[in-house]
Amino acid sequence: MRATAWEHYGSAPMVRMNTLVYATCFADAASSSELSLAYVKLIEQLAVFKGYSAAFCALKLAEEKFPSSTNSQIHLLKMQLLHERALHRGHLRIAQQICDEFGVLSSSVSGVDIELKTEASLRRARTLLAAKQFSQAAAVANSLFTTCYKYNMQVENASVLLLLAEIHRKSDNAVLGLPYALASQSFCKSFNLDLLEASATLTLAELWLALGSNHAKRALSLVYQSLPMILGHGGLELRARSQIVLAKCHLTDPEFSVSEDPCAVLDPLNQAAEDLQVLEYHEMAAEVYYLKAMTYNHLGKEYEREEAAARFKEHVTALENPRDEEDSLVY
Amino acid sequence: LSLFPPVRPPKKTSPKKPPTKQQAAMAEEQMEEASSSAAASGTPFQLQFDKPIPFQIKLAEWNPEKDLLAMVTDDSKVLLHRFNWQRLWTISPGKCITSICWSPDGKIVALGTEDGFVLLHDVENGKMLRSIKSHDVAIICLNWAEDEPLSRTDKEDLLSYEDRTTRFFPPAPVMPRIGGLNSGDTGLADENEEAIQAFSSASCQRFNILCTGDKDGCICFSIFGIFPIGKININKVPIHVQSSGKRTSYRLQDVSISKVSLSRNLHQLVLLCSGKLINTDNLSLSNDLSVGVHCLHLDTSIFSNRKNELHQVSQQASSIQDLVEVVRASISMMSKQWSNAMNLFHEKFSALPSLLTAHGMESSSEDEFMSLLFGTHTSPALHQFLVSSLGEAGLKRIAKTIESAGRELRIVVSEHLQPAVEIISFRLAELRGLARWRSRFQNIGLDEKLMDGVTERVGMLVVQVERFSRVAATVLYLFQNFLSWVLKCVKILLSEPTDQVPSTNSELVVIFLKFLLDKDPIKQLLETDQIFEWDIDTAKHVEHLVVFGGFTDTKFLERSLAKQFSELEESLKEAFLMPFTTVSSQIHCQGLLPLYPVTSSDALSSTSTPASIAFYKDKDSQHNASSYSSTDYICFKIPDGSLNLRNFVAVIKDFCNSCSTSNTPSLSGFLLHIPVEYECVDLSLYKDNQVVLLLSGKSSSENAGRSWMVMLQTENLSFSQFSRTFPANYYNLQELEALELQLDTDYGKVRSVPHPLSTPLAVSASRGVACIFSSRRHALVYILDEDEDEDEDEGSEME
Repeated sequence: MRATAWEHYGSAPMVRMNTLVYATCFADAASSSELSLAYVKLIEQLAVFKGYSAAFCALKLAEEKFPSSTNSQIHLLKMQLLHERALHRGHLRIAQQICDEFGVLSSSVSGVDIELKTEASLRRARTLLAAKQFSQAAAVANSLFTTCYKYNMQVENASVLLLLAEIHRKSDNAVLGLPYALASQSFCKSFNLDLLEASATLTLAELWLALGSNHAKRALSLVYQSLPMILGHGGLELRARSQIVLAKCHLTDPEFSVSEDPCAVLDPLNQAAEDLQVLEYHEMAAEVYYLKAMTYNHLGKEYEREEAAARFKEHVTALENPRDEEDSLVY
Repeated sequence: LSLFPPVRPPKKTSPKKPPTKQQAAMAEEQMEEASSSAAASGTPFQLQFDKPIPFQIKLAEWNPEKDLLAMVTDDSKVLLHRFNWQRLWTISPGKCITSICWSPDGKIVALGTEDGFVLLHDVENGKMLRSIKSHDVAIICLNWAEDEPLSRTDKEDLLSYEDRTTRFFPPAPVMPRIGGLNSGDTGLADENEEAIQAFSSASCQRFNILCTGDKDGCICFSIFGIFPIGKININKVPIHVQSSGKRTSYRLQDVSISKVSLSRNLHQLVLLCSGKLINTDNLSLSNDLSVGVHCLHLDTSIFSNRKNELHQVSQQASSIQDLVEVVRASISMMSKQWSNAMNLFHEKFSALPSLLTAHGMESSSEDEFMSLLFGTHTSPALHQFLVSSLGEAGLKRIAKTIESAGRELRIVVSEHLQPAVEIISFRLAELRGLARWRSRFQNIGLDEKLMDGVTERVGMLVVQVERFSRVAATVLYLFQNFLSWVLKCVKILLSEPTDQVPSTNSELVVIFLKFLLDKDPIKQLLETDQIFEWDIDTAKHVEHLVVFGGFTDTKFLERSLAKQFSELEESLKEAFLMPFTTVSSQIHCQGLLPLYPVTSSDALSSTSTPASIAFYKDKDSQHNASSYSSTDYICFKIPDGSLNLRNFVAVIKDFCNSCSTSNTPSLSGFLLHIPVEYECVDLSLYKDNQVVLLLSGKSSSENAGRSWMVMLQTENLSFSQFSRTFPANYYNLQELEALELQLDTDYGKVRSVPHPLSTPLAVSASRGVACIFSSRRHALVYILDEDEDEDEDEGSEME
């Protein structure tokens, strides 16, 4: 299907459009598995652009529409969404549980169900990363990279490289992360994977930023490079991330003064906060409010500062005490 | 480009015969002699040639890149000549041309017409690329300025934006060629289309803006000359003047713009216009003197500050507009093709109902066919219709027509309509991405909500196109099936063998009779005012899809394809109007300088008073390559009698800077008194702060028939500062020092021309040549600078 190609090239509206064309025009002619695939794509889009509640709502309807016999894809999608949400909410135990389920789904024979397996280990690595077990995550990602390389899965290759870069960044090892990010970027370039390339560029910017404030200018220019792509076609998470990086670049830049141009920082932060609210991504939302509080502090606006600080605390506690873990599995 | 290799002018040639080597050597010698004693001998400009020209030339302009001279004759023919006077092409656009200018890359010549059109013509062959109606009245002046590459090295990061469309899509579809039966005058138009495509891809490389000023005081700006980005009406622009601590507001009335010039960093616009200056705070203050020619400075920093964003947006938007045209043409062509085929079908089959009534039967043709299909009986009317009035040949003709129309339809959909719609949707998605970058794109008016709306609409259009192709395919198949069934029946009735006829599906024949005999879904889809019926299943399905992120407008399938397209057009227009109005609102008037009053009697002729505006890079700002500033020079002839001056030319510099920085009044200028027996015919600013004047002997004096071309180095003339304290005194030009121009002057170079001269004077800074036209229909081309180093020699001599 054309929609998948567009997904890789990075044009979200085109994905939606093509899928809708398919779902509308060929609803009577297409086989149910194809149609369910179209629905899966639509729901994925929903999750990425409108947040989880909308996606789960649609998922329920889709499950009704396609009875269990054909809905392995829908089942898979459900697990993906649940995993993603658990990660964002900080429910690591549940995330781990879903990862294990993923592993069970694929057949144990080597060389079969490769896609499912890579998906499973990719998710495992991300869970480990979220749990701050960096070395294990890196190990999983490394083994994943070799498998992908072996089976010539270019798209996965690039994303695994990006993941590795991310792992190194989170483990405060920015210098090690740089080559991975660069490799991922060049990979994407050669395969026209524009959206992935933009996110690789963004990671690169984050890495540079982590290397110290004198690299802020370079990071900023990298963010500027990727922004049109990300804003146009990236999901909520990616968009929020890019906004945060943008704000951070400004804040760390020694030549930039907040009091002169507060909008340059606050605008992206507000936008990021909006997006993350929908996504229920506590970790990043906490970061946003932290940055916001800092900025207001600089500006001397105490009331706003207190407000942002309170929101920050809210998100941190939500992250640390996952109260409603049970409802993570229901939707 | 390859057509016109830049040819250096031969050093000195006689017009007709090419010089032999010896002659050339001699000429060289002579010239060196001449140039070494240039000031003394008085013949500094080499006459390149002197050719008779059979037209009266109204406007002339040198190409900035190549050795080409475009001229407009009095009867609005456009001629393009090479430097060696070989004519390349002549066109007559059929409209009165009032202004001309070249695109900065020299590939397009823009013509302004009396009825407000801007016509863009290709330099290679003179073909019209675009015709844009941006004004209501005559366009008096054009100025096409390009962003200097120098100033854009600083922000490499922002320039890295690339148009991804070319990577993912094959070249954009062109408008469908109307072939087959109804071929009109398409041969030419089709080639034009190709040219348009090439044009839009080539011209978008560097950011440039075309300014057009009209007789009613409107100025339009369009990026690449095709994407309108702003329009301001000088009559409505408030002018605030700070004078002695007090702020006064003025307004100009009955403005007619005579000259515009956009600085090369796109930061400032200087314009000359005539009009009545009104003090809006105190209306009683205006008097007769307030009618005059004024110089305005507009702040267009929006163009320079946001040039990258504007570039991206206009690039996407203009190609979207191209593609919209393709879609429009495709739809209209399809409907034409189909209605032709259908007309034939209905013409033939309409004979049946009348035959039925003639036989006194009350059944409809549908019933008759039905009974024929199910073998009950064949009524005499139907029998007569099938065998005699339709006949086998007629039937075959219908089948063939419908088949070819169907093939045409399929081709148009698959080769033009579908790819065009797809690329539109991709480009819109890119634009929407840009619109989300609020901090950068909101202030040029790219609105996220509007873009979302447009994207939604184009998505529906994609679905519509898909549905159209399905409907068309079904309908065509049904037609084919039905017609071969009828053919079979005819053969049976004539008791001929039927083994040649392909087998038919009688179920489909029933469907055809039920749904298609009197209805035409293809036509319904292609016409705007039709409501398309659709089944409830699909309706439910579409509603269902909303939850999954489908289109919220669930009724969209009721609309026809054409209706959907017109809706898309509407929302596109709305979305692109937003940048237009936003940018327009950000162009402000920065300063005003009344130049000279005109009495109402000669107000009409004032627009044709020679004037020239140019921007020159500041020499002292070279150290900062990324942000240089430029100085404006305004040079104009003061009409006789105005300001109580006669035969004066004024040169003013630094008007813009004096407006923006009020604490350092740098505005300065001088007046030049032309010897009484001559009058200034035309003037032009020329590179390196020089002024070229054309003086022609007055007919009453004994110098009639003799003329002079004078080039003055403005640096050698003393600029004196003058204040802008007004309204105490409107016209401060009188304060300026007046210099007497002597024709054996030391200020610059002078050459006498043995003809009476007329406008226009065309100088080319890139080539250092001037073309002047004598009233006796001769064109003379002079070389203004022989060589760069010789110039310097002369300069040192003069000092």
